[in-house]
This record gives sequence, C-alpha cells and structure tokens, in this order.
Amino acid sequence: MEINENSVQKTRKPNQLLLYAIILIFSIALASICFHKQHRIKELAMSFYSFPDPVYGLAEKDSAELVRQLLASEKRIAGLKRKIENFAPNQPYLIVNTTTNTFVLRTRDKIIREGLCSTGSYTQLDAGEDLQWIFKTPKGMFRIQSKLKRPLWVKPDWAFIEEGLPVPPKNHPDRYQYGTLGDYALSLGQGYLIHGTLYQRFLGQPVTHGCIRLGDDDLKEVFFKLNEGSKVYIF
Amino acid sequence: MKINSILQRVKDLLVKGIALLSAIPLKTVLVFISIQLAVLALAFVVLGLLPVHREVKRISNELVYQPGNSPNSPTHASIELARQLIKSEHHEAILNSTFMLSKSDSISLIIDLNDSLAILSFKGINLFQSKISTIKFNKGLAKLPLYLLDSLFSGPFATETEFSSIEKFPIVVKKAPKDSIEAKLANKAPELPKHRDVFWYFSFSNSLTIELHQEEETLVGLRSDFKKYQLKKSKWLRQKNLNAITQTNQRGYTYQLSIEIPREDARSIYRALPVNPMVIVRY
Repeated sequence: MEINENSVQKTRKPNQLLLYAIILIFSIALASICFHKQHRIKELAMSFYSFPDPVYGLAEKDSAELVRQLLASEKRIAGLKRKIENFAPNQPYLIVNTTTNTFVLRTRDKIIREGLCSTGSYTQLDAGEDLQWIFKTPKGMFRIQSKLKRPLWVKPDWAFIEEGLPVPPKNHPDRYQYGTLGDYALSLGQGYLIHGTLYQRFLGQPVTHGCIRLGDDDLKEVFFKLNEGSKVYIF
Repeated sequence: MKINSILQRVKDLLVKGIALLSAIPLKTVLVFISIQLAVLALAFVVLGLLPVHREVKRISNELVYQPGNSPNSPTHASIELARQLIKSEHHEAILNSTFMLSKSDSISLIIDLNDSLAILSFKGINLFQSKISTIKFNKGLAKLPLYLLDSLFSGPFATETEFSSIEKFPIVVKKAPKDSIEAKLANKAPELPKHRDVFWYFSFSNSLTIELHQEEETLVGLRSDFKKYQLKKSKWLRQKNLNAITQTNQRGYTYQLSIEIPREDARSIYRALPVNPMVIVRY
C-alpha cells in the first residue's frame, strides 16, 4: 500500500506544478494585456465619474448682473472681431499653397482669381565639394518688392550644373535668357520671383527651383492686381 | 483520405484535451478563475480608477463657480442665461487668443468645432480652411462642461510632442549629372512626390491630444506606413500611461480629440505648420 501511495504522489506532483505554472503564465499575460489596453481601462473608469457643471453655480447670481455681463461680453466680441478683420490687407493679396500648388488672389471680402501654380520641388541638388542647393519655396509673409515686364533671367550656377554644363563666369552672355520667365515677374526678394513658365503642363506640380510659376492669364491678372508692397502669403 | 486522417487526429487531440481538463480538480479551476479575476480587479484599480480619480479631483478643484452657495435654487431662465454667458465668454476667449496669435510670426492652427472647421491662421488671415467631417471626443473630454473645456483645453498652447505618417519637408536628394547627356536623360520628367496617407498626432502639456485622420478610408500609400504611425502612437501612449503610474505628479488621464478632414487638406495643414505649432480649439 505504501509503495502505491508514493507512486501516486510522484505522478501528481509534476501535474500540480504545471497547473501553477499555467496559472502564473495566464496571470502575467492578463496583466500585460491590461497594461497595453490601459486607455480602454481608463475610459471604463471614467464612466464612473462626472464633473460638476459650473452653470448652476453661476446661475445662482443675480439675473440682472448676468445680463450685464453677457452684454459686455458681446460688445467685447464685436470689438475683437473688428480688430482681427483689420489684420487683412486693404489691397488685394495673394495666398500660395505649396503643398497643393494652388493660389488664391483675393481682397478682404472676395476671391478675385484662383488656380494652379508650381512651387519648389524640395529637391536637393548635390554637386559634391560642398556644393548643394535645396529647391524650396520659402514660407511666410512677403511683400512685392518690384514688378518687371519681359523679365530677363540671369541663370544661376545651379541651372548649368543641373544641365550638366560647365558653369560660365559671371556676366557671361550664356547666363542671360529672355522669355523663360514669361511676360511678367514680381519679385519677393532674395531672388525669389512670381513669374510665368514655358512648362504650362507642370502647373499644379512641385517642380520649380523655389520661384512661383503661374499660367499666362493668371500671371497677367496677378501682375496687374498686385502693387509694390502688396502682401503674398506662402504656406 | 488525407482530410479524414487530419479530422481523426483533431478529434483524438480534442478527446485527449477534454480528458486532461476534466482531470483538473475543481479547486484548482476555482483558484485559477479567482486569481485571474483578482488580476483584472487590481489592474482596473491601479491602471484605471486611481489615475482617473486623481485627474477628476484635480480638474474639479479648478472650478471657480461652485454651486450651492445661494439658499435659492436657480430658475430655468437664469440657468439658460448662465449658459449663454459661458458660451459668449468662451467665444471671447477664442477671439482674444486669435488676436494674440496674430502678432506672432508663425502659422497656427485653429480647430473650430463649433463651425466644424480646421483653419490655418497667420497674422490674422485665414490662409486655408478645411471642413471637418467627423469629430470624436473620448469620455473624459465629452464629460467636461464648456466652462472647463474653455478654461483648460482651448489654448492657445504649443504642441509638446508630434508625430505623423508623412514628413514635414519631403526632400529628395538628386546627384548632379556628369554631363549634358546624363542631364537630358534624367530631366525627361520631373520626379513628383509619392502620395502617402495622412495621419498626425499632437500632444500638449495639459494632457490633451489632438489626432487628425484623413477622411478617406482607402489607403493610397503603403499599409506599413500606417502601421508605423500606429506603432509610434501606441508606444507614446504606453510610455505616458507608465509615467502616470510611476510618477504621481503626472496627469493620470489623456483627453483625446479626434477629427477627420480630406487627405490633401490634412497634408496642406501639416506641411504648413511649423514644428511644435500653436493650436487653439473652439468647442
């Protein structure tokens, strides 16, 4: 009999250990799932709470006083709205979206014209020997510095490097090109222009070296509507 | 024949499994269930109730107008008047914030939930606006009355952490061609940026997070990009939740606002905003 009991105990022991191990593994796994799904647990916990609404505390005040406060607040709102509206320029201004490559020419009250444009390609041209250019359109608020009819393009170094051509010296005749920039150009400063393009099919795409290209008719309207000092917002 | 033998093996395994399970003593089963229930209860208390309770207590202390100071209970008309006043003061606060931001030199984001608009604002000009198609609040944010939303979660506040499924500046590096022949071959067509899906996540120091999803359900980009974004988000949330347990000075609950706008609008807004932009929310 003794021999039999011992043999039963020997066979049961590992089973029980296995069961304890399984319980432990399940508990750890459950705790780990709970930790990973903590935001759900918090959402559930939040169901048991509520925040006091201050409306009732405020409503205990004198009604006449509340009306006075409400009128004063509405008056301040009207004043603030006027102040904010005054930020918009009186003259027509241009907004350029460099992500969708679109523009809006507008006044404070209405849109004059909207359409496609081309802006910086975000290409980094690497010519080695620390020669690098990033072709992106700057963002922010700019003012029209000058306006040009039949603008002349003075090709910068990168234009030659990009075409695999040797870079000519400054003022070399190869650097001057008429017609490439279209009929009109508006300067934003630091070499950035709003100009026309020979590549009308690329309008709406980010393909420029930083300038803003417009279609012929759009450029004409923008050129004649904007004056020196007019604002251009680029984002 | 093959299917039959597989079915037979599955059947055998099932029988063995059932036999094994039935051999487990009832006491052990009860111990197992009780331990799992205890783990669940403990997790609910430690990970849920305690941090949420801490947060609710903290927020409730912010209230200025505590009810119950007057012997007379307020009338329906005065409650309506008080509601109007709070709404008006909230609008005023938003306009004040917009006016303040108009003086700054960077583009900011105004999320107007009242008119369902996401607006890019710069120097007082609305550069761009997009219609919000879906607005979702998590429970904590949905439970907050307007007064608290206004005073605690309308901003303007600077983004503390941000991550997205797209890059801010999609720069493509191009090697300069060796000669004009190579240049002509490379310049056949301009290299356009790849279309990718747009999701972004902003978190603020006041425990508010704003998540923006493209409203289009079908992905145009890689599924792996979306998964990478989800992974970043869950990793950040896990770390935040862990901090809430280990450090009592950390906020125990994250208020989450989710909005959906068209993909291209979301891309325009994200790319236009500077790193860690200022945000205003009108509820």
